[in-house]
Amino acid sequence: MKKPVKSWLIAASVASLLAAPVVSQANAEVEKLIKEAANWATWGGDYAGTRYSTLTQINSQTAKSLQPVWTFSTGALRGHEGGPLVVNGTIYIHTGYPHKIYALDQDTQTIKWEYQYSPDQGTDPTQVISVMCCDVVNRGLAYGDGKIFIAQGDATLVALDATTGKQVWRIKNGDPKLGQTNTNAPIVVKDKVITGISGGEFGVRGYIAAYNIKDGSLAWKAYSIGPDDDLKVDPEKTTTWTDGKVAPVGKDSSLKTWQGDQWKIGGGTTWGWYSYDAGLNSIYYGSGNPSTWNPVQRPGDNKWSMTIWSRDVDTGKANWVYQMTPHDEWDYDGINEMTLIDLPLKDANGKEHTKLLTHFDRNGFGYTLDRATGELLVAEKFDKAVNWATHVDLKSGRPQVVSQYSTQAGGEDHNQKGICPSAMGSKNQPPVTFSPKTKLIYIPGNHTCMDYEPFQVEYTAGQPYVGATLNIYPAKVNVKTGQPEEKLHMGSFTAWDPTTGKIAWQFDEPFSLWSGFVSTAGDVVIYGTLEGYLKVRDANTGAELYKFKTPSGIIGNVSTWAHNGKQYVGVLSGLGGWAGVGEAAGLEGATEGLGAVGAYKGLKAHGKLGGVFTVFALPNN
Amino acid sequence: MKHRALPLGLGLLALSLAPSAQAWEGKTFKVCADPNNPPYSDKKGQGYENKIAELLAKELGKKVEYTWFPQRMGFIRNTLRSQDPETEEYKCDVIIGMPTGAELVATTQPYYTSTYALVYAKKRGWDDIESADDLDKLPESRKAKLKIAMYDGSPATTWLLNHKLVDYAVPVRSMTADATVNTAQSLEKDIKDGKLDMAIVWGPIAGYLELHNKGGFEVIPVKSEEGVKFEFPISIGVRIPDKARKEELNKLIEKNASAIQKILKDYRVPLVD
Repeated sequence: MKKPVKSWLIAASVASLLAAPVVSQANAEVEKLIKEAANWATWGGDYAGTRYSTLTQINSQTAKSLQPVWTFSTGALRGHEGGPLVVNGTIYIHTGYPHKIYALDQDTQTIKWEYQYSPDQGTDPTQVISVMCCDVVNRGLAYGDGKIFIAQGDATLVALDATTGKQVWRIKNGDPKLGQTNTNAPIVVKDKVITGISGGEFGVRGYIAAYNIKDGSLAWKAYSIGPDDDLKVDPEKTTTWTDGKVAPVGKDSSLKTWQGDQWKIGGGTTWGWYSYDAGLNSIYYGSGNPSTWNPVQRPGDNKWSMTIWSRDVDTGKANWVYQMTPHDEWDYDGINEMTLIDLPLKDANGKEHTKLLTHFDRNGFGYTLDRATGELLVAEKFDKAVNWATHVDLKSGRPQVVSQYSTQAGGEDHNQKGICPSAMGSKNQPPVTFSPKTKLIYIPGNHTCMDYEPFQVEYTAGQPYVGATLNIYPAKVNVKTGQPEEKLHMGSFTAWDPTTGKIAWQFDEPFSLWSGFVSTAGDVVIYGTLEGYLKVRDANTGAELYKFKTPSGIIGNVSTWAHNGKQYVGVLSGLGGWAGVGEAAGLEGATEGLGAVGAYKGLKAHGKLGGVFTVFALPNN
Repeated sequence: MKHRALPLGLGLLALSLAPSAQAWEGKTFKVCADPNNPPYSDKKGQGYENKIAELLAKELGKKVEYTWFPQRMGFIRNTLRSQDPETEEYKCDVIIGMPTGAELVATTQPYYTSTYALVYAKKRGWDDIESADDLDKLPESRKAKLKIAMYDGSPATTWLLNHKLVDYAVPVRSMTADATVNTAQSLEKDIKDGKLDMAIVWGPIAGYLELHNKGGFEVIPVKSEEGVKFEFPISIGVRIPDKARKEELNKLIEKNASAIQKILKDYRVPLVD
């Protein structure tokens, strides 16, 4: 922290006179909000990212009587990812770039304030849109210290006064002219707001940055790839799982795994989600794929792309790292969320672990690690269609790659067919939920495979080269058994036991699930589908209890909260994102996979683009 | 794969609904283009793709109308495939330069084939290089001084790997994210600033450097080799179901072949037969 502590304390105590809770640090306020189930104060409902609510009014008995009670149009097309925050009675929703934010009054269902993005001088929104890879989505807002934060598409980070919507500060987290953009939800931890960066397609070298919440000044910044100092890696103290134990990473752990200066455009962007453990004073997140698409061109493990990170909140120092997919050949971007759970787990040596981190990667493996030490405990397939690796060797921590499905092994002119999962992953970015009641994790599954055809000619900014075509289609393999089947479904609702690494039970969904889940003490799991349904399932059996068709496909995350003693569920619908810009994958062509064409056709029949916020509740009587 | 029949069938259905007589409705020849991408196109009409667009429009008795968007990831989504929300009319109908067989569009017959070329600044100690393979023969002491660009995704990077030159290369991004600076311009600047001495780049970009810096650059076409394809034919791109338009463009290309060749030569585009 750069500001003198004394003046900061004065500022905080003045703020505390205005706001009811007496707080010494912003996170204490957010922690208090999280404890009150009436709020939904972070992207994950809590700092651990469990997306679990203790509310019970809507439960496995009453869910069938749910009904939409009010709706609100965002006035924006394009994809609506992320979900509503609810803080002290006010609902905050937002749209993709160029952003709008609405603070909604629940009593009157009217707009309290409205924020409309305007570009800084020198920023051209068309240029920003031209470098955002997968539609102009944004995954959400953060609250803390009486402010609403948004990491905007143009890589500016903005703090707004939560009661008036007036801008308090605005800083540059990156430069869109260098391909740096933001799509992630920030998180407020202690006196900092933390955000990552997108733009792997432009060779952006990923980093995570912590800004002081009062004025937006930079507290620390740490890269995924490069020299130890840039990474805030201590060769002696930062550890990784290797040879059945955690050991120091050693000097130049990243540089040694790249040829020449390739690390300078190395990728490892950080566009996913950030979780926090107050007791361990650590944040957790994943870094993305190495940026050069062609694996042949970047020999080596390409560390620390595709990696789970634990960092100290105050300094950014890396505690431990674990690389899931060394030398990625499939675009299994490692940015999916880290869900921090407390359950007893005895490892193979009989050692007890309770502070766990779980992660469901694009690569199809569900991981459980000890979040205090970085020890690898479980790494199992959460979709048995996965075939690019036979298993993860628990001793070395490395996936055992099957050469038949290596995109590189066949050479640059060889078709690799039937690689599972597809580049979209067995699960994409929508977050899971964990119910401490059932001790299960519920996963939004994407059940697709791909053919990888390297012949395809690409053309970027006027330069042709041989690229690869991905044909994506339904896996046609049973999620639980891995046995071939003739079903064309592309999604899976999967209940997972994080201590054993086994699928507890599972239900097929017609389309890939692209919506963040919520589970509750009422033993229900709530989520959205690409067709536009809000669905409720029984958390114990998976039985479908309720569904309602919203106006457009749902790629947003569900939230639940209470107001005047009544429980509500809310979600943004509005198709788009990678799942929705089907056209971007060339789906009118003759060479595309049937599944993707089928998905596109199917979705077309279900609705058009357009953002609508829908709120559900039980009837009053 | 047997399922391929389905999307093909859909394409034919769309064709039968779009009679060829309607291929060129309206008074304008609607081109999707980058507003700042020399030597291909720019807003002032100075690129060779601008010249080719004008030539073809004239043949059709129409005026060129542009939809400008930076040629980056969302280019086709935001131009060729983008419809006006009110009228449902497509914003533009043709992209003048697309590699033959590019996935997101249907391409006409090729109207030229170029190749990647080694381009280096003269009078910086490299003037004895006469072919790309000469780089292999350099003594270690000279290799260590090589300031050769290494573009992500470019076949030239695979070539550098094959020739064990990656350790001496300077990583450069293939795409500038800044729409006011394109690859050719940033390469020109990096060489002028001394960050780079040379690069293996797509022919038209090499031609641009040569033309803009008379006598200052040497351009040497590089041959394809095992695992590295440097030669690419270039076509005009239209929407995939737009078969009638494609056929008409094929006829126009054939008829105007020599005029097109002249334009390309004026821009020093290295041509491969």
